Amino acid sequence: MSTFLLILVTGVGLGALYFLVASGLSLIYGLMGVLNFAHGSFLTIGAFSGLWISTKVFPNPTTWTFLASMLAGGIVAGLFALLMEQLVINRLYNRHIDQALVTVGVSLVVTALLGGWFGFDARFLPTPLWFMKAVTIGDAIIPIDRFIYIAVAAILLIAMLSILRFTRIGLIIRAGVENRSMVSALGINVRLAFSTVFFIGGFAAGVGGVLISVFSYGVSPLMGGSWLIYGFIVVVVGGMGSIAGSAIAAMLIGITNQFANYYVTGLGDFVVVIILAAVLLTKPTGLLGKVSH
Amino acid sequence: MLIAITVIFAILPFAGDNPLSKAGLQQTMAVAFLFGALALTYDLLFGFTGLLSFGHALYFASGMYVTAILINDFNVHFLLAIVGAIFFTSLLAALTGGAALRTSGITFAMVTLAFGQAGHVVVARDFGGFTNGDDGLPVNPDRLPDFFIGVVNTKYLYLLALGVLVFIYFAAWWITESSAGRVFAALRDNEQRVSVLGLNPNRFKLLSFVLSAAMAALIGATMLIVSGSGSPRYAAADITIALLLMVILGGPITRWGAVLGGILYSVLSTRLNFISEGTALNSLPRFIGGPLAEPAFTLGLIFILIVMFAPGGISGAYYRARFKYLNKGK
Repeated sequence: MSTFLLILVTGVGLGALYFLVASGLSLIYGLMGVLNFAHGSFLTIGAFSGLWISTKVFPNPTTWTFLASMLAGGIVAGLFALLMEQLVINRLYNRHIDQALVTVGVSLVVTALLGGWFGFDARFLPTPLWFMKAVTIGDAIIPIDRFIYIAVAAILLIAMLSILRFTRIGLIIRAGVENRSMVSALGINVRLAFSTVFFIGGFAAGVGGVLISVFSYGVSPLMGGSWLIYGFIVVVVGGMGSIAGSAIAAMLIGITNQFANYYVTGLGDFVVVIILAAVLLTKPTGLLGKVSH
Repeated sequence: MLIAITVIFAILPFAGDNPLSKAGLQQTMAVAFLFGALALTYDLLFGFTGLLSFGHALYFASGMYVTAILINDFNVHFLLAIVGAIFFTSLLAALTGGAALRTSGITFAMVTLAFGQAGHVVVARDFGGFTNGDDGLPVNPDRLPDFFIGVVNTKYLYLLALGVLVFIYFAAWWITESSAGRVFAALRDNEQRVSVLGLNPNRFKLLSFVLSAAMAALIGATMLIVSGSGSPRYAAADITIALLLMVILGGPITRWGAVLGGILYSVLSTRLNFISEGTALNSLPRFIGGPLAEPAFTLGLIFILIVMFAPGGISGAYYRARFKYLNKGK
């Protein structure tokens, strides 16, 4: 029972990290039809910004400095996403394949740039000491970092859903996901919604990057690539354009991954892929998919 | 023109003292020829048929690993092993492609990515104990002909790779110019029209998928002989993304564009390292010199510029220039 609980919480924690990567991907694809291969770069840039705050700016890690790292990671990654949208994506208006291709180029350049500056070895991101502790629930001993991932992802999930639900720009985004041409035909400026979605997606990925550095014990230019593939899988399983779908799929995949890995090491990755194929072949739009383009 | 270039490349290693008479460059070029051929098989899917697959590396790696396993574990003659690998890979492609083709567009890309990742996991984690996991799978040199073994004989590997490239080139030519090839192009341009004309789109897409996978398997088997061992990195999604870059760099739908793109990409990504070890870059501050020493930085930048400003890549630019030149008088 204690092992079961440990695996379950770890799976949900992993799912929380997947969600941070996938939510932005899902919104960007849902609204703009752009398959964003540079999303892994947002994550990496966020992680490096967080590392800079936690080592150079505040060398003594406390709870507050870690919060600052996450915030910095989110903001820098969000601004980079905004910059990329303005400089590159906007110029290829409605050329979806080219937009996807150009993001492949951006991800190569960012990885090489960071690798050239900082090297490809993983660097340790210092955390407050209490991150290393564990809590006891019943007879299960669970490392405390899992709960941090879950809490941060839950806060961002609520924030994103609130923006989508209660603000004007959120309304435009929701309408745009369902029918973009109709929204522009009504004379509403969709461009602002594009930028918002890129900033939000970059922010979530950047925060995720800082947390993933804690989870995988290091910051490296290569971290974005491997998490991006999981991000894609979560988005496709959850349904393009649906934040709630991403959240559900992230949990499903995180938990299944952990349980499969517990029985056979390495089986988790394989099972995740099988889930993806099964979902797509039975319901090609994903669990809660709305987009049909 | 293409024939002349091929003949020159075939003679150079044997024609006295030139850069290509050295084993190091011969090896680099042999790998580059194979990537040129592989890029062409990807172009058949992406350029000619309009199928954006992210799982092409699976069939390349399948050709490589099945050949190695048949030679090492089942003591099969290497030529027979290659035939077996092509047969197995075609079956695999028919199964996975058949499932993936129930979807289309970006979803198709994602399903193929998933199958490709599954293949990578099987190879890297060594399920079943055949693939030797992350360490890679060396092919038993005793079972290969003597003239493919050893540094002195690199020139024969070079010729083998060039021969496979020429073979794939003619095969792709034959396929794309055949009546089925015309249906592939029609599918890319207007799928609805094809089905209205009474042809089954999915059957032709599957044909294109299986043909390009079978050719990728042959190239994978050749890569096994050229590099001496299989490695999980050949099964990774990075390879498929590299293929996409190669095709865009050289320009799709022209055949020679994809081949040129593949060769250039492969040579640049291995040789840019050597160039950067020269003095010129070391004198630059690390701020600039560090990224420039990474081939992916330069290649990525070139790639972005091509997509944004020169769609059609090298061959596209060539045909545009020729078109302008031919119409100058008018």
